[in-house]
Amino acid sequence: MELRKYITGRLMQITLIFFVILTVLFLLFRLAPGDPVTRMVDPDMTQEDSQRLIAELGLDQPLGIQYVIYVKNFFMGRFGYSFHYGEPVVDIIWDRLPNTVLLFTTSIILSALVGIFLGKIASWHKGKKIDSFMTIGALATHTLFLPWLALLMIWVFAYKLGWFPITGMISEEVWLDPESGFVAKALDVLYHMVLPLSTLFLIHFGSYLLIMRSSMLETLKEDYILTARAKGLEEKAIRNHHAAPNAALPVVTSIGLSLAFSINGGALTETVFTWPGIGRELVSAVSQNDYPLAQASFLLIAIVVLISNLIVDVLYAYLDPRIRY
Amino acid sequence: MPLLSVENLTVGYNTKHGSLKAVDRVSFTLKEGESLGFVGESGCGKTTMGMALMGLLPPNGSVREGEILFEGTDLLKLSSEQMRQVRWSEIAMIFQAAMNALNPVQRVGAQVAEAMLVHDDLLKEEAALAKVEELFDLVGIPRDRMLDYPHQYSGGMKQRAIIAMALACNPKLIIADEPTTALDVIVQDQILEEMKQLQKEFNLSIIFISHDISIVADMCHDIGVMYAGQLVEYGPREAVFESPVHPYTKALLASFPTLTGEKTDLAPIPGETPNLVRPPAGCRFCDRCTKPGSTCKTEPPQWVAISEEHKALCCRCK
Amino acid sequence: MTNAEQKKQVEAPVRFPWLESFLEGWSIFKQNLLGKIGLSLLVMFALMALFSYLPPLINPMYNPMTGVDPNILGCTGPSLKHWLGTDFMGRDILSQLLAGARVAFMVGVSAAVMSIALGTAIGMTAGYLGKFTDTVLMRLADMIMVMPTLLVVLLLAAVFGQLNIWTIVLIIALFRWPGVSRIIRGQTLSLKQRPFVEAAKVAGASHMRIIFRHIMPNVLPLAFLFMTFRVTSAIITEAALAFLGFGDPGTVSWGMMLQWVWKTGNMFQAPYWLLPPGICISLITLSFYMLGRAMDEVLDPRLRKEDQTD
Repeated sequence: MELRKYITGRLMQITLIFFVILTVLFLLFRLAPGDPVTRMVDPDMTQEDSQRLIAELGLDQPLGIQYVIYVKNFFMGRFGYSFHYGEPVVDIIWDRLPNTVLLFTTSIILSALVGIFLGKIASWHKGKKIDSFMTIGALATHTLFLPWLALLMIWVFAYKLGWFPITGMISEEVWLDPESGFVAKALDVLYHMVLPLSTLFLIHFGSYLLIMRSSMLETLKEDYILTARAKGLEEKAIRNHHAAPNAALPVVTSIGLSLAFSINGGALTETVFTWPGIGRELVSAVSQNDYPLAQASFLLIAIVVLISNLIVDVLYAYLDPRIRY
Repeated sequence: MPLLSVENLTVGYNTKHGSLKAVDRVSFTLKEGESLGFVGESGCGKTTMGMALMGLLPPNGSVREGEILFEGTDLLKLSSEQMRQVRWSEIAMIFQAAMNALNPVQRVGAQVAEAMLVHDDLLKEEAALAKVEELFDLVGIPRDRMLDYPHQYSGGMKQRAIIAMALACNPKLIIADEPTTALDVIVQDQILEEMKQLQKEFNLSIIFISHDISIVADMCHDIGVMYAGQLVEYGPREAVFESPVHPYTKALLASFPTLTGEKTDLAPIPGETPNLVRPPAGCRFCDRCTKPGSTCKTEPPQWVAISEEHKALCCRCK
Repeated sequence: MTNAEQKKQVEAPVRFPWLESFLEGWSIFKQNLLGKIGLSLLVMFALMALFSYLPPLINPMYNPMTGVDPNILGCTGPSLKHWLGTDFMGRDILSQLLAGARVAFMVGVSAAVMSIALGTAIGMTAGYLGKFTDTVLMRLADMIMVMPTLLVVLLLAAVFGQLNIWTIVLIIALFRWPGVSRIIRGQTLSLKQRPFVEAAKVAGASHMRIIFRHIMPNVLPLAFLFMTFRVTSAIITEAALAFLGFGDPGTVSWGMMLQWVWKTGNMFQAPYWLLPPGICISLITLSFYMLGRAMDEVLDPRLRKEDQTD
């Protein structure tokens, strides 16, 4: 099937890009001014441990061999030890990954679906009050500065109104209690997720709304809409069955194009809400000069971005038969 | 009673330059089982007229005057819901294949079936698809292509699919707007032949719109020549094609190459079409006419009956 | 316009394309409400930036970085002397806000100009030389477009230590050129086919000459018009960086102000400090966006509100 070929092709592309990033990172950390050893090995380690780690990472070898060891280590999940936590980096990022994925995917899916739905409605009522309201609303929310919005959300809803927790992803009481079932824990996470999710949602849905709206207006001018009307279809059916599926395609494309923006936003949101995800880990690792953790976090984020790109591309191919066949 | 009788149809558009009359007092009749062709250059209003008949004018267009009597009912007096019922089940349209007339993300078979499902509440989907298979056989598309998407079809196949779709509800009248324009000559010929067959088989009435007078002469019993929104000559094909009266018709025929007859130079018509926002007071073709009369520029031309069925809108043609 | 006049618009190599396009664009722009609002907001911010030099001149206590009011120890609300109050060090918030406007423009415009220059050069080269160069450059562009700029700068901050504002601007520009280069490349590709380029080639002009004398003048107006989009993302990236604590500690930017209010734990108590910088960043983004949309209409005739006839 064509789709399989397409996916394989894209996977290869992604792997290539990832290798380039991996290599660039390698060069960056080994060749930047300063002693690369201090960037890889915790200065607080014992002499013995240091030596072992240096050997493991191959820091005493020529650059070429270092690279090979580096790549090998990567695939074996050996990212070194975090200076800050004193634990293997791989454990830390593995623990954080699901949290980021949860928040990130939920926010994108929610904003995309709502944006498409509202954009469709806005285009139906073009020029009327509801359209202006939605367009201005979308514009206003989309241009807000994300970290600032996050602070405002916390201030109003968590601090002043006390409806939601100020920080974190979980309440320790719930999770440490052996009586708590899965549902209780899940609800707890959801409860903590409301504010960060709303922040991300508010920032992102606007652009999808605007794109869907203008896409619908363009699509409604197409010839096949005339055909549908000539066939005697009702306006509602024309918009929902003929126009919307076509109009949604550029929105999917724009989701893919704005993934980098979305990930930036994700990292900022995690930091302000103290949501234990990879983005936040990267930020704190950098500020604490925890190089191994910073590097690995970045790589993991890069993988997330690349795979998200792939997913969006595949989704588009699925929705647009012109790509598939 | 003729199937379709159009009387003084006038269609106008509101543009930012002003209001323009794209169709100006056009009248004609069409009997059951017969075909009428409209020829003219781009912008002469023939497509607009086709759209007006279907009630598919864009928001800035409207019928200013006239009546469209279809089987005795004035279509212009129908509500939009009633008109929606009439569309496709009584009057269907065939668009140009090169147009994006088929929804690119929907399977062709489903789109043809949709035409039937919209008009028949009791019809089940399997029954509709079975009918689609029959239609495809009729127009010459292999049945296994039903599940394909429009971009997988060739130009000729797309045109056939559009024809199949038009026939889906057994309409009485089909309006074909430049159905073969973008196709290569061989396919064009095939499609035209098939259309003639279908017309005989189903006793269809066809309004054929084209800029190519030779096609229209081949397909249609009657021909109407349009220029700048007006009908300038109207009559049976033999009369109009072989003994044209109006200077524009003559010029139009002269600008097309013929396979038989003497070898003459092709004569393009000099000049430009008039501005329809402020149309000239007199004959609209005057500026480009080879032999304008003395009053042609100032006085609007009158209909002159050349024979019982053949008439032309020209002062000098007596 | 009659059909004849329309047909006369034959395309020829324009000597001063920017002047003609500019004047034509201006008349279209004037009709656009969004554009006008955006422009007025920007003018307001520009004035803010200009006025930022005033307060320290009036009284050194108004200096955004070092100004200390001898009578004030920490955060205070708005007062006659300090219209927006003071921050945790007793510095005047309004003068910080004004200085922030200056930094925003500086960062936004420099990053935009740099990325446009880079993107135009690369786009023209890729489009003109084609084949291998084109593929390589565009693949490079694709890879860079995928990367989240903010996080890359973060990582670089980790490796190189505290970054100064110009380094930040440079890095932002380095990650923004791909978008520009794609558009310019497309434009170059279509220009390449035009007769006047062929004529120049036949006359023996070197590649460089063709690129600079013939292609560039026709491509630059497009490049400049795209600046509006580039500026906001640069401003936001710098603001986000400063917010996280990785900005240039010597510059007072709006993001930096937010960092201070956040990190010193004053965000709940000092709305006069929390709100203004955030509002400014959001508003300037909004105004550039509005300007950009108005520019869109200027650039793409299809978007203009014209009635259609058939």
